[in-house]
Amino acid sequence: MQHHHRNRHRQGQETVEENKEKRPKFFINDHVDILVEILKRLDGRSLGVAACVCRLWCTITRNDSLWEDLCFCHLSPPPSRVRSIVVALGGYKRLYMACVRPVRSRLGKVRGASWTRDEAQLSLSLFCVDCYERLGGVEGSNSSTGRLVGESSASSLMFLCKPVNV
Amino acid sequence: MLSRKRIMKRDHEEIYGATGYGSGSGAKAESSSIGNPDKGKLWEEEQDAGGMDELLAVLGYKVRSSEMADVAQKLEQLEMVLGTAQEDGISHLSCDSIHYNPSDLSGWVQSMLTELNNPATSNLDPVLANSDSNSSILGQINHSEPSKAQYQQQIVVSNQSQVYSDDSEYDLRAIPGVAAYPPPKSKSDLESTRKRMKTSIGSSGSTGYGSSSSSPQEIEVSGAVTESTRPVVLIDSQETGVRLVHALMACAEAVQQDNLKLADVLVKHMGLLAASQSGAMRKVATYFAEALARRIYRIYPQDSLDPSYTDILQMHFYETCPYLKFAHFTANQAILEAFATANRVHVIDFGLKQGMQWPALMQALALRPGGPPAFRLTGIGPPQPDNTDALQQVGWKLAQLAEIIGVEFEFRGFVANSLADLEPEMLEIQPPEVEAVAVNSVFELHRLLARPGGIEKVLSSIKAMKPKILTVVEQEANHNGQVFLDRFTEALHYYSSLFDSLEGSGAAPPSQDLVMSELYLGRQICNVVACEGMDRVERHETLIQWRNRMETAGFSPVHLGSNAYKQASMLLALFAGGDGYRVEETDGCLMLGWHTRPLITTSAWQLSNTELTRELS
Repeated sequence: MQHHHRNRHRQGQETVEENKEKRPKFFINDHVDILVEILKRLDGRSLGVAACVCRLWCTITRNDSLWEDLCFCHLSPPPSRVRSIVVALGGYKRLYMACVRPVRSRLGKVRGASWTRDEAQLSLSLFCVDCYERLGGVEGSNSSTGRLVGESSASSLMFLCKPVNV
Repeated sequence: MLSRKRIMKRDHEEIYGATGYGSGSGAKAESSSIGNPDKGKLWEEEQDAGGMDELLAVLGYKVRSSEMADVAQKLEQLEMVLGTAQEDGISHLSCDSIHYNPSDLSGWVQSMLTELNNPATSNLDPVLANSDSNSSILGQINHSEPSKAQYQQQIVVSNQSQVYSDDSEYDLRAIPGVAAYPPPKSKSDLESTRKRMKTSIGSSGSTGYGSSSSSPQEIEVSGAVTESTRPVVLIDSQETGVRLVHALMACAEAVQQDNLKLADVLVKHMGLLAASQSGAMRKVATYFAEALARRIYRIYPQDSLDPSYTDILQMHFYETCPYLKFAHFTANQAILEAFATANRVHVIDFGLKQGMQWPALMQALALRPGGPPAFRLTGIGPPQPDNTDALQQVGWKLAQLAEIIGVEFEFRGFVANSLADLEPEMLEIQPPEVEAVAVNSVFELHRLLARPGGIEKVLSSIKAMKPKILTVVEQEANHNGQVFLDRFTEALHYYSSLFDSLEGSGAAPPSQDLVMSELYLGRQICNVVACEGMDRVERHETLIQWRNRMETAGFSPVHLGSNAYKQASMLLALFAGGDGYRVEETDGCLMLGWHTRPLITTSAWQLSNTELTRELS
């Protein structure tokens, strides 16, 4: 990805040097919409790498909508309610990092392979459970009885974090 | 000990040198008065031994010194045969041996050898120590250089180098019945001296070798020191594993027959055998041994422990293995399908605990094509000892989540000691036209079988609630048989599979989660094995038994669809070590198992047509 960027940049520069008078300068960062279109099509790891390139790119990749496409790219447009729910539960980036990525890798899905609705549904459910766990306890609970509520970190997704036995 | 031996050695040299004594001398030393290994006294007695071996004379055996080598050889043979014949059906001879005449050691050994060649199953009293201590003392004799001068030294350095795997087996304290604690008058002197000899040898031997006899994993005969021609014997854990299972079964049988003394012995024995195992087998054996011990000594576990403690344990169980997740997801799928067209839904959860089942259902309802229905949840839980309203806290959390995802939510909590105490009117259920009702029970119904009439009452209460669907998740095992031994055997197999699956799924270092999960299961084991009557609440039954009960009560099965199956399969694939888990569909019910053994079953029920017509009429 960075190669690509550098190449373009260099090309742009070269082109600029060659045809100074004929063409305007092209610098990808000036065309954020194109940049977004490109970044939308990347996989998770590349997006993470892209976030390290420069401040602009970092800001762009933080945008949740990029990750939404990553999560549901191959599905028919999901109902709009999904977006509101996911955003409320923590956002697509979180959904991706916490659920979609490990689920995909565990189920042996190659990057870009078909991601069925069932798998999406399962990821969402797991994500929801995780969010539920992270919710705090009762506001007025002064008597901390050592319960799990609000004290320990959510760990219902722990099984996804463990290394898979190869 | 050492010094005494040297004294005897020197003395022996003198005796042999003298050739005055030896064979033919008929003087029998006094054996009965020997009880005091006081050095001075022994010295005098040695002088009077008259050809009898002094060391054995101390024990009360009269063996001519000249015959020593011969006797030793025979004992050696005997020991070899006994040792290698552990599993050949004559191993009883290694434990049960009768000593016919304490003074005629040679004759006894001969009789033993002939018996072994023609094994006769005679009912023998275990007089274990005799054979053992003798063999341990004398067994080494043959291995030294022929010069008699050295053999006493050999005696000193011999450790428990028997071929038997388990020293504790011959620990006098572990021997049942009369033999170990004979009528105090007659044999006490003899026994006590033998005891003393054995322990002293043990101590000297162990310091020499550094091998303790307490928890033998493998016992190697260190041939180097004793110049032993005996082959090195390694007891591998598989063999002890088999013996462990046999010991467990034998102990259970003893408990069944109310032979508590034998059971006591076996329980202690099991503890040591279990230590030699590793992994799942060890844990299962330990828990079962503990449960049996509780049953024997009547130290019943208090079931009235803090419910939040059991909740915590169940949370860890929830996280480490897929059983609870499977239960939740499959039940949710059934409920979701039943609620397909309803606008108001009401779920009654018989065991709310931490409410981990409901976020997923709420999220699925929220994404329903027609929009989410109004969701009402009634949670039932046990009373908390410190009067905190645990149910309300869970309800509050669920309400927060519902608000986040945009589902209209209402919660009500009910505290009840037992589900049978519930009355349907208390739940304020709306008629079916207004709201669709689902009743959910995950591992709760089997507890009702402890009370006579409990399950019938609850099932009729459920019918009065007129649910659209009733989802039941139960363990797939029959732990409610009439006969204790049958229950025990069933439970042993069931929990072995369960622990195996836990072992397979965890990461290499045993995590806290894993330990807590095992503790959670261990408490169930304790309840199944140790408790009786109303206390025994873990009365699991198989799907077939539940189906009979449900159909008799007026329910008909609802088939769980292929969606549930797919979700379940996918869920299992996510778990590390997931290839061991299997989802099976049986008559519309889904079973989750480990390899070939089904472990939990999700089933769904609705009111049968006859029930519905009866309601209308």
